[in-house]
Amino acid sequence: MKPFHPLTFWALFSCLAVGVIAADSATLALLAVGGAALIVKFYKQDGPWSASFHWSLIAGLVLISIRALTGILIGVPRIGEVLFTLPRINLPSWLPGIRIGGPVTWERLSSSLHEGLIIATVIALFGAANSVTSPHKLLRVLPSRIYQVGVTLTIATSVFPQLISSIARIRQAQFLRSGSKPRISRIAIPLLEESLARAVHLAEAMEARGFGQSKSQSRYRPINYSLRDLAWIASGALVAVGMVAL
Amino acid sequence: MITFSRVSLIYPHSTTTVIEDLSFEISEGEMVLVMGHTGSGKSSLLRLINGLVPHHTGGILGGEIIVDGKSTRTTKPGELAGIVGIVGQNPLATFVTDIVEDELAFGMESLNFPPDVMRKRIEEALDQVGLVPLRQRSIATLSGGEQQRLAIASALVMHPKVLVLDEPTSALDPIASEEILAILHRLVHDLSVTVVLAEHRLERVIGYVDRILLIEGDGASSIGEPSEILKKTDLVPPIVRLSRALSLEEIGTSTREVRKLTEDIRRDLNDIPRPVFKAGELSLSLTDIVAKYGEKEALSSVTLELHSGEITALMGRNGAGKSSLIKCAVGLLSPASGSIVLGERQLDEIAQKERSRLIGYIPQEPGDLLYLSSVAEECARADRDNAIAHGATLASLHQMLPTISPQSHPRDLSEGERLSLVLAIVLAGSPQILILDEPTRGLDYEAKNRLMALLHRRARIDGTSVLMATHDVEIVAEVADRTIFLAEGEKVADGPTLDVLLASPAFAPQVAKVMSPRPWLTVGDVLRSQGSLEE
Repeated sequence: MKPFHPLTFWALFSCLAVGVIAADSATLALLAVGGAALIVKFYKQDGPWSASFHWSLIAGLVLISIRALTGILIGVPRIGEVLFTLPRINLPSWLPGIRIGGPVTWERLSSSLHEGLIIATVIALFGAANSVTSPHKLLRVLPSRIYQVGVTLTIATSVFPQLISSIARIRQAQFLRSGSKPRISRIAIPLLEESLARAVHLAEAMEARGFGQSKSQSRYRPINYSLRDLAWIASGALVAVGMVAL
Repeated sequence: MITFSRVSLIYPHSTTTVIEDLSFEISEGEMVLVMGHTGSGKSSLLRLINGLVPHHTGGILGGEIIVDGKSTRTTKPGELAGIVGIVGQNPLATFVTDIVEDELAFGMESLNFPPDVMRKRIEEALDQVGLVPLRQRSIATLSGGEQQRLAIASALVMHPKVLVLDEPTSALDPIASEEILAILHRLVHDLSVTVVLAEHRLERVIGYVDRILLIEGDGASSIGEPSEILKKTDLVPPIVRLSRALSLEEIGTSTREVRKLTEDIRRDLNDIPRPVFKAGELSLSLTDIVAKYGEKEALSSVTLELHSGEITALMGRNGAGKSSLIKCAVGLLSPASGSIVLGERQLDEIAQKERSRLIGYIPQEPGDLLYLSSVAEECARADRDNAIAHGATLASLHQMLPTISPQSHPRDLSEGERLSLVLAIVLAGSPQILILDEPTRGLDYEAKNRLMALLHRRARIDGTSVLMATHDVEIVAEVADRTIFLAEGEKVADGPTLDVLLASPAFAPQVAKVMSPRPWLTVGDVLRSQGSLEE
């Protein structure tokens, strides 16, 4: 199968994200995540990036719980059905309008959850875009002017997935040494040393291969849009317009 | 092509020179091996050739280096991109894109080559290294050998006059490493590319190189024909040790030469077989292990038994399932089916604390285990963790390696020193079973001998069961009692090392190749048959 243009899915998921934010509806947000999951399932790449949808879902869940927690603890009082009451901490008088603790209403909890869900959905949509398009490919279709920025990003983005595999490897080794779950400091030091060495190696390799020597860069096999790409983007835009209209 | 005249190098914040007063010349179309102990400055020397040192690393360079008429002092590494291609120790860490073809295009895109030139050169390079069928593949899915070939190809697309490689075969199995060396040999002979490489496993490269540049620890260095240089160093491959031990009039570097010189020995000597080691009781047994990663089966019904006092080697090509089997044995990977019994109990019924005490594990990157800021602290930590007398770990480390300084930072140790430190830490708990994953990577012969002596002592005197996954046939020939061979997740051979290694020509050690069809794997085997070896 001919690969998609790298911008196709980014455009599609950006449209969906705009739609989700505009519609501000939990049902639509969940539907969008479901749709994204289907697309990821069918068009996943086999690089280290394919897991980013999975990780973005986890990040989203963490975010929702943090949002809910802060929503319960801190905030402006809201009228409604009181679920339970937390002990209230009195703040000095020069901080009016903010309170910590106090009665928690159903309205406050649900609005916090709702906000969290919308943000988490947007994160999941970008995670999905990453899963189906390698960021390296995306960088290659960006205009030459921002190519320099692109390479900095290349280093950052190449080191990141390797970082995840290094964490797992070091954690396992430490786990076997001590027989208990290792503390962060035990992992951080070997990890930091390795990541620094990696970044330096990559920068060295790029320099040795002539990166930055010529003002303009040529492109091997420029990537063009096909009808299929346009169809996907158009359908994404239609859904977004529909969501906004609702 | 490459001229070093009176080159000295000192890194910033350092008081000792890495390279001192080094002069040599390498001409076009030569293949030169740089050898020396770990930490003797081989990597620095390689990176001096394209100016990465000192342009990228900092440091003070004395003397003059001229590559193809250009001084590296005034020319930046990027400007030399079309002249010097460099392939690092770990190719995966140096790839910039994630598709094979794109990676090849990267250097040419940076230099603004027109697309039609790029297409032609990519085609050529793919052909030269035999990667044509994999051109659209994601780099992450390539095997170690394929990644190494891709790294070479991405240097070749620039049509370099010099190709510099830092330990190109250290991570590869013997077959993949043969392929890499055959490619290099072809480049030298057909295209007159000048190749400079560093490698510790001399047995793999010695037959291919034209000259050797030997760097000694004290700053002295010499360059010359392999047979000449190998006369004056201790870092020699088994084939040279054989020539020395048999007092042959010449030092041969190829199997063919030494075979000619040893015809009478092969004809006249009687076999005195290796003393058979009687292994102790069963310590760890893995029965019918099936392991899966997603849908993919990594191990299909593999059975492995470790006995106390016995050293078992686990061999096979990259991706054959060695790591998966080791992960099952240490309890990191739960098999889909099969049972693992440690002593008399199932492994998964034993608490992790106790498991860690019973099974010592040395990972592929020994540095993963280290996190404190000095050797002494790491050792003290191991004393406390294992509740043994204070200073015991450091004492055992000193017994292994008397020269190590307790104050030095683990990061500054050489590969061999780091491995010794990690071994001392892991062995502080006196585990019944010791499992090592690729322990000889990056070790010079001295460090390897130290490792072999330690493993032998641990197994024979303390009765530890040792399991070692490795690509290094020479260490297997020297220390392993039993060898297990995996291929595509299945066990294809399991038996005494002698039988297993002799049955596979690709995995035969150097001495066995010379002495074929006689059943001798090591210099020691030959000497024993000659009657001049005392056990």
